[in-house]
Amino acid sequence: MFKLLPAYLLISALIFSHCRLDDPQIPNEEELITTLRYTLTPVNGGNSAVFTFQDYDGEGGEDPLISGGVLTANTEYTGSLEILNEISFPLVDIGQEIQTEDTEHQFFLATSGGLLANVEYADTDSNGHPVGLITKLITRSVSSGNLTITLRHEPDKTAPGVSKGDLSQAGGETDLEIVFDVQIQ
Amino acid sequence: MLRQITSILLLVLIPLIGQSQGCRLVIQGTIVDESTGIPLEYAAVYLQETRQGVAADSLGQFMFQGICPGFYHLQISHIGCENQNLYLRVDRDTSLFIHLHHHAELLNEIAVHGSREDNSTQMANSIARTEIARESNKNLADLLEKIAGVSVIRNGSGISKPVIHGLHGNRITMINNGLVQAGQQWGNDHAPEIDPFLTDHLTVVKGVSSLAYGGNGLGGVVLAESNPIEADPHLHGQLNYIFQSNGRGHTVNARLQQNRPWAAWMLSGTFKRQGDQRAPDYFLTNTGKKENNLGIQFEKKFGSRWASRLYYSLFDTEIGILRGSHIGNLSDLEEAITRPVPFYTRDAFSYGIGSPRQAVVHHLLKLENKWLINEKNILSIHYGGQINQRREFDVRRSGRSDLPALSLRQYSHFVEGIYHVTPRPGVLIKSGLQYQYAYNTNQPGTGVLPLIPDYQALTGSAFGIYQRSFEKGQWEMGVRYDLRHLAAATISRELPRRIVRFNNNFNNINVSFGGKYQLNEVLSLTTNLGYVLRSPEVNELYSFGLHQGVSGLEEGNPRLKQEKSFKWIVGLDGAVNHKFFIQALGYLQPIWDYIYLQPLNEFRLTIRGAFPVYQYMQTHALLYGSDLLVSYEWNKSVKWTSRASLVIGQDQSRGLPLVYMPAQSLQSDLTYSFGDRKRWSGTYLGAHGKFVFRQNRLEPGQDFLLPPYGYSLFSLEGGSSYAVGKSRLKFSLLVDNLFNTPYRDYLNRLRYYADETGFNASFRLNYSF
Repeated sequence: MFKLLPAYLLISALIFSHCRLDDPQIPNEEELITTLRYTLTPVNGGNSAVFTFQDYDGEGGEDPLISGGVLTANTEYTGSLEILNEISFPLVDIGQEIQTEDTEHQFFLATSGGLLANVEYADTDSNGHPVGLITKLITRSVSSGNLTITLRHEPDKTAPGVSKGDLSQAGGETDLEIVFDVQIQ
Repeated sequence: MLRQITSILLLVLIPLIGQSQGCRLVIQGTIVDESTGIPLEYAAVYLQETRQGVAADSLGQFMFQGICPGFYHLQISHIGCENQNLYLRVDRDTSLFIHLHHHAELLNEIAVHGSREDNSTQMANSIARTEIARESNKNLADLLEKIAGVSVIRNGSGISKPVIHGLHGNRITMINNGLVQAGQQWGNDHAPEIDPFLTDHLTVVKGVSSLAYGGNGLGGVVLAESNPIEADPHLHGQLNYIFQSNGRGHTVNARLQQNRPWAAWMLSGTFKRQGDQRAPDYFLTNTGKKENNLGIQFEKKFGSRWASRLYYSLFDTEIGILRGSHIGNLSDLEEAITRPVPFYTRDAFSYGIGSPRQAVVHHLLKLENKWLINEKNILSIHYGGQINQRREFDVRRSGRSDLPALSLRQYSHFVEGIYHVTPRPGVLIKSGLQYQYAYNTNQPGTGVLPLIPDYQALTGSAFGIYQRSFEKGQWEMGVRYDLRHLAAATISRELPRRIVRFNNNFNNINVSFGGKYQLNEVLSLTTNLGYVLRSPEVNELYSFGLHQGVSGLEEGNPRLKQEKSFKWIVGLDGAVNHKFFIQALGYLQPIWDYIYLQPLNEFRLTIRGAFPVYQYMQTHALLYGSDLLVSYEWNKSVKWTSRASLVIGQDQSRGLPLVYMPAQSLQSDLTYSFGDRKRWSGTYLGAHGKFVFRQNRLEPGQDFLLPPYGYSLFSLEGGSSYAVGKSRLKFSLLVDNLFNTPYRDYLNRLRYYADETGFNASFRLNYSF
């Protein structure tokens, strides 16, 4: 074995004189959802509210910024969802992608934690099933709680309750699930 | 007991002194079982050219007289064994010593193949060609499940990896024709890219530190090898076709070989197509599979001292992954667990493969050179090159399902020089130097941050093994040193994205000591003690991403140190009256700095809700267990074999069981072999039972779901072989999961979503000439 010592030294030399690893190409994460805005405009005029979610660095890094809002009691709002990828260049309107594939997507908006409000769908896909990019939100009396917005990709839109916004039978994969703190004054 | 024998058959041609004159030559021989050395009485020997047939006597001996000089094909058959064909050049009286695989289940030697004389005191079990061929439509790892102490970790029905004595993944080294299988072996859902049809011999080494191979075989080594090409100058080949009812799968393989003066060559091609498989109660939607494989081998001798072999294989597969297992977050997982039928289950069969799916291409090239310097010294120089390309597709929006979400390419090169010295009979010294280089990059265009970074790894190694055999046994010792350099270029998770480089050097030392001793006529004792260091792999150090299937964020840990482990194995082999055989084995393996995925008490908020975070951490683990194999030959026709294995893994520091430990299992086979009749031979019927207990060694909270219940599976098998002139037609029928039992297995990563496959009948046709 000792006769092979020079060969071993050669191998060691090879190890430490290797070429440098090239810089990896940083991918353009065009699918990443960095921003969600849920804009609520009172049907009969008044102050709108905007709930926002922002997470520019994706799953790792910093925690997302989530801000809910304040709504007026006994008011009907039109809710519209805006979903964007703001770090991609050019900016990607993911809401537009969802609109294009509306039969494969559905949003579910659910109240919890004592929030007294009802949400209804105000749009349909080409098969007549709701999508949820446009909704109608009606507040009742003064309360506070949460509003959860969930987006399911490839759900079963024909399953019982799904068109009424019940996601327990919907299946599919969750693409987003955001909980907003909401106050009704 | 240094048995320098081949797995399938050993031939010692002892030329007897005497002049060849006309047709007065004699061919005689002895036929014994390779595993036990027992003479095989009534073995039938047929000399094709003279159409003579004889039967071996009680000492396993046979003789043909009045033979003319020339070339002969000899066919040897015995009840319960695969037929063997020999090609002989007879120019003087010839004496043969022939090994058949009668007790194939007892094979526990490292096989000696071509240039490798690695018979050692390592504990190993093998599977022979016959058994591989019968089920070559399955994955390579599935074939290994027949060995006591080996289980399989699965990702649905299409992807499987071996588990040896409770360890899997990075801790198992796969050796493909003498090369450490390169590629993305770190992934539990990355099956080894090896075609069973190109594998003539499959061996599992259970001890640590198989010093000649390197890699990171802290948990054991799997060796897949092809045989050297036979000496026969005529064109021989075989055609295989296997149909499986579950998944309506078709597997076709053709293999040709010939030993011409210019070189010996072998060519093999395999095509597999399989559609959605079916659990007892529903289709497993999107579990189809395509596979196209190729193997080419050339062997050439240059003079009497130099031999070369060139081997190339291509493995190209596309595997569908159960559609219902693709989920977005924890609530999806919880919902999937409660569903009796997986989501997206279609009520119709389909051959289509949609996303999620994997497409993998693996090229392997090996050049072996062996130089017999003189009687006592052999120098072997090998080069191996591999290219692995893996693409994984997810269900994505806006037509991006056709863009891979993971796309990795790896180039690797391997060079080794091995020097054998036999200074005197019974002593073997083997030493070697190895150099390995791997360059692994993410291919652009995925639109996703990579799960593992680009990296290059360089390893230089040296090893030395000393083996000494004496009358009643053998002992050996060896040492190996690896210097491993790993350079990785990761992309930061913070914005702006930037490149963060890491450099690591690891010094690994492996030491091994083993002995084998024949205590008396009945019992022999084997022991092996090894110490091994395993450096952390790139996924353990730097991975970052969503862990599909368990819905967690997986984080590498750049501060990981090497794992250090002792493994001690004691084996006892017994043989009573040539009828009853027992192989018992016990092992103990402490692992310091055992690397595992620890769920942190931390949830990370993302756009898809909160995800639990898993980080690679280190602890002190202890594994122990035993394997048992019992075989009883009632009479010439009836044989019963049973295997049991038990493994216990404990995290000593935290006082918790280790996760993904195989449950206790018991397997039993009953085989009835019929005697040969005219053109019919090798006729058999068999029944097989497998009982897997529930894995009770898991605390609540260590998994999303309690381990599934235990289960029993039964299968039936039968086959025969029919001679048509000089060729042979073999057929067999195998029925798996006879009672269509619904069950789930703890080692299947998709156990949260769906049952295992149900009833499956597979029919195999083999034509060989």
